[in-house]
Amino acid sequence: MKGFDRLVESSARSLARRAGRRSFLARLGGLLVGAAAAPLLPVARAAAQAPRDPAPPEDLPGPEGDPTRCEYWRHCAIDGFACACCGGSATRCPPGTELSPVTWIGTCRNPADGRDYIISYNDCCGKGMCGRCACNRNEGERPEYHWYRNNDINWCAGASSQVYHCSVAVVVGRATEPQPER
Amino acid sequence: MSRGRALAAAALRAAGGALLAAAAAAAAEPGPEEDYVLHCSGCHRLDGSGAPGVAPGLRDLGRLLGAPGGRAYLVRVPGVAQAPLDDVRLARLLNFVLGEMAASPASPPYAPEEVARLRRSPLRDPRAERARLVPPAPSPR
Repeated sequence: MKGFDRLVESSARSLARRAGRRSFLARLGGLLVGAAAAPLLPVARAAAQAPRDPAPPEDLPGPEGDPTRCEYWRHCAIDGFACACCGGSATRCPPGTELSPVTWIGTCRNPADGRDYIISYNDCCGKGMCGRCACNRNEGERPEYHWYRNNDINWCAGASSQVYHCSVAVVVGRATEPQPER
Repeated sequence: MSRGRALAAAALRAAGGALLAAAAAAAAEPGPEEDYVLHCSGCHRLDGSGAPGVAPGLRDLGRLLGAPGGRAYLVRVPGVAQAPLDDVRLARLLNFVLGEMAASPASPPYAPEEVARLRRSPLRDPRAERARLVPPAPSPR
């Protein structure tokens, strides 16, 4: 039995030497770095090459800085219920709803830096209409000329449920050419 | 400074100014990535993966490009032919999508003149034309 104890002890010590917290951390670190590099792989390259600017200034006073208001700067081309008033946020669908894969794309000028940003107004689908913060600003909409610049389409058409709940306003890039052209 | 050298210096300054102006104009014009996001990504999605039942994915466009008539189809399809972009930007956008998203660069790359000619005859029935060029696989029974 003593021999067995020694065997267990020595193998546990050897394991501890080989697989200490540090080596676990080293492997975890490798994994995290790998995960961070994954978006650079060719599959995600196109998305990564989109003219992104992850951080437009958001510290705006008054309703232009408030995602629960139609005057919020990102809402310049929205047509629908702002998700920030429906249990979600300007970038996140409320629980129980699904982000539509196809979407209405527009641009809005950020009053803080005077720059234009490309905004994706994905619909959140799968629950009945939210009914709060009904916004209908539609700047840049030209449905009579361009069908895809039509904000009255139910963009939930691409989701598994076609029931519309609300719309988010995600910044997907900088715009050097605002819509409509100024 | 001699008259000749003064003239040369003035010419250099003018050329520099023209270069700077050209650089500024180039910087102000959206690149194909931005044109893609604004004019295509709403339906084909930011990564070109498409949405079943709404818009086809763009990553396997190589098959369509390689089919006889496929090169013309990609310009004549209404979403491309009627895009609010001039021929130069549209050619650049097509080359970007094929090269970067589909990993099947057009060879030779689309030229603005070719785009101008092809987009003058947009397709009436793109769905039928697509099915003719790349027949869908028979559904398994």
